[in-house]
Amino acid sequence: MSGNASKKSFLDPRTKLLLVLVEAVLVLATAGGERLFWFRILFTVLPFLLLFTAGRYKSCITGGIVLGITLFLQYAVFPKAQGGLAMILLIVTSVITRFLPAYLIGAYVIQTTKVSEFKAAMEKMHMPDELTIPMCVMFRFFPTVREESTSIQAAMKMRGIGMGGRKASEMPEYRLVPMISCSAKIGEELSAAALTRGLGKSRKRTNICRIGFGIFDYLIFALVLATCVYWITGVIG
Amino acid sequence: MIQFEKVNFTYTANPEEMSLRNISLAIKDGECVLLTGPSGCGKSTLLRLLNGLIPEFYDGDMTGKIFIDGTDISEKGIYDFVGKIGTVFQNPRSQFFNVDTTSELAFGCENMAIPEAEILSRMEGTVSAFRIEKLMDRNIFELSGGEKQKIACASIHVLGPDIILLDEPSANLDYEAAENLRQIIQCWKEEGKTILIAEHRINYVWDLADRVVIFEAGRVVHDFEKKEISSFTDEQCRGYKLRSLKRISPQEIAFEKRNRAENRKKNINAEGREGNDFRKEDIRLEGFTYAYKSGENVLNIRKMQIKRAKATAIVGANGAGKTTFLECLCGIRKNKGKMWLDGKEYDSKARLKVIFMVMQDPNHQLFTESVLDEVLISMPEENEERAKQILSQVDLSDFADRHPMSLSGGQKQRVALACAIASECPILLLDEPTSGLDLTHMLEVAEILNQLKKQGRTIITVTHDSEFIEKCCDEVIVYGK
Repeated sequence: MSGNASKKSFLDPRTKLLLVLVEAVLVLATAGGERLFWFRILFTVLPFLLLFTAGRYKSCITGGIVLGITLFLQYAVFPKAQGGLAMILLIVTSVITRFLPAYLIGAYVIQTTKVSEFKAAMEKMHMPDELTIPMCVMFRFFPTVREESTSIQAAMKMRGIGMGGRKASEMPEYRLVPMISCSAKIGEELSAAALTRGLGKSRKRTNICRIGFGIFDYLIFALVLATCVYWITGVIG
Repeated sequence: MIQFEKVNFTYTANPEEMSLRNISLAIKDGECVLLTGPSGCGKSTLLRLLNGLIPEFYDGDMTGKIFIDGTDISEKGIYDFVGKIGTVFQNPRSQFFNVDTTSELAFGCENMAIPEAEILSRMEGTVSAFRIEKLMDRNIFELSGGEKQKIACASIHVLGPDIILLDEPSANLDYEAAENLRQIIQCWKEEGKTILIAEHRINYVWDLADRVVIFEAGRVVHDFEKKEISSFTDEQCRGYKLRSLKRISPQEIAFEKRNRAENRKKNINAEGREGNDFRKEDIRLEGFTYAYKSGENVLNIRKMQIKRAKATAIVGANGAGKTTFLECLCGIRKNKGKMWLDGKEYDSKARLKVIFMVMQDPNHQLFTESVLDEVLISMPEENEERAKQILSQVDLSDFADRHPMSLSGGQKQRVALACAIASECPILLLDEPTSGLDLTHMLEVAEILNQLKKQGRTIITVTHDSEFIEKCCDEVIVYGK
């Protein structure tokens, strides 16, 4: 967790959003079926490349190991398995191979995009503030929730409440109550602080963040375009 | 010029209690005013009326008039004050809209639609005035509390307001961070800003203030000028139920303690010399090291001794890993450190059973729906009779059926202490137990700890509060990096 902000991504936030969409449609929902198999492979590998260039080696390696094990199960174990085991393997492997790339690209976007970059991108796409501001708050909120959750977990551990410990049945409640009240309190203080600094004051805001498309953005566009063209020609032809 | 004329205010959420009663107050331009008084005395409410959070964010009934530079503020909305009035809040964790520091500094100006080039040049000015070059372009979640508060001040400064309000800004800061905050306030003072500070912890700003206004139950009970406050003594402060004026560093606290107990051998240093004065009944700690993923060692304690049935204060510089030490000692952070208690060795897992920790933010450790339940689940064997007895010990008998989250900060702290008592753990850890407490509440905590010592519990507390140390700690250990 070192220096999220300082690690710069070479993609424009808009390109990243496009990638999230493509991963969801192509890999997660497997649109296009067999015909797009090789494109799907390409888009499965892409998140790993991006995470690698952003210096997120840990996510990259963990993701790689999970994918490796899944592929091993799918191609080496599954053909030999029978009955219930085969069924379970089929479900598990197909869920992981579909979800993992989408999850990784999501992690990449969250970890490499500054809130103000994202805001600038949404403004350039003429998205309404009603959509942009809540989404910006989400960026801010995930790490907050994680921070609170870690502290609460530590407190529960100390008081001997937990899995296998005392009061295991009440655990979810004990976990959620302070979680919700702490998050609500932080949310309230956060909005008060943002209001006193003029959030929502004027329709037109300025932004010191410079965003724009570069060579890599165009490469991604070309790739997505190629995928679409190949897909459509398949559907028509 | 800020003028309050016969202002009364009652929160809609709390209609029985008037938060401000008949306040008439005039504050001159460039004046630095310290507002103080016990918790709930109305000093924060006064600031909220000025920055527009009342009525925009908190509802209530107000009578009387407030003027800023001759304009009645009831005709204005919260946005009219942006750029004119800046507010620094209490909790460093919840004042940020962005995740990175640079965007956070620009945030206010961007909302004001100030041109980009001007924002950048203003930011440059603030960064060099506050000497925060090293904090730029960082992830806010990785900064310490003191650093976060610096960024909060800087992001106000960029907007260039004439009036600056600070609402208990030091509540979560240790000695060093509070001293840094003092420098920032001094810088604002030199720039001629009008400054209003609501605080319990008055020592670090006392001599900066041109005026001290003391509140009690919504009324202004005293209004002292510069010449009156410069000769104030600690005795006078106690008379007004205020905290101590002494501004002493952790090292000085330890030094004073040592001087007072000349002939007693003591372990001043965290690296501590083992040996001569080691007594069998002491608790012995060995090999506490901890490194974050980045590889930097934040904790390195080879040997330390803690006296049984005494209170030991651990003081030290900001960011020296004091909280990490408590977490390792308690066992919620896995580590290789060993503890010996009554000749028995405890590893981090075994320690969880004999050590109870009261965290700095008690909100994180209150789980149930009533104060009584909270105490009950902490007991090895649930016993309602005993639980009620404990609640009366911490003066919470009347709150047994209340939801812990509906209590005030000081009361939550005492619920956590009640749980600690109920747990029957022989060792009790406290992380900054007096942060944000007024004199009365601080004394209550100290009194409870003194009782616990008599019952044979050992107390280890991380603190920056010299007054609190004086009241209940027997030993002081200075902990450095």
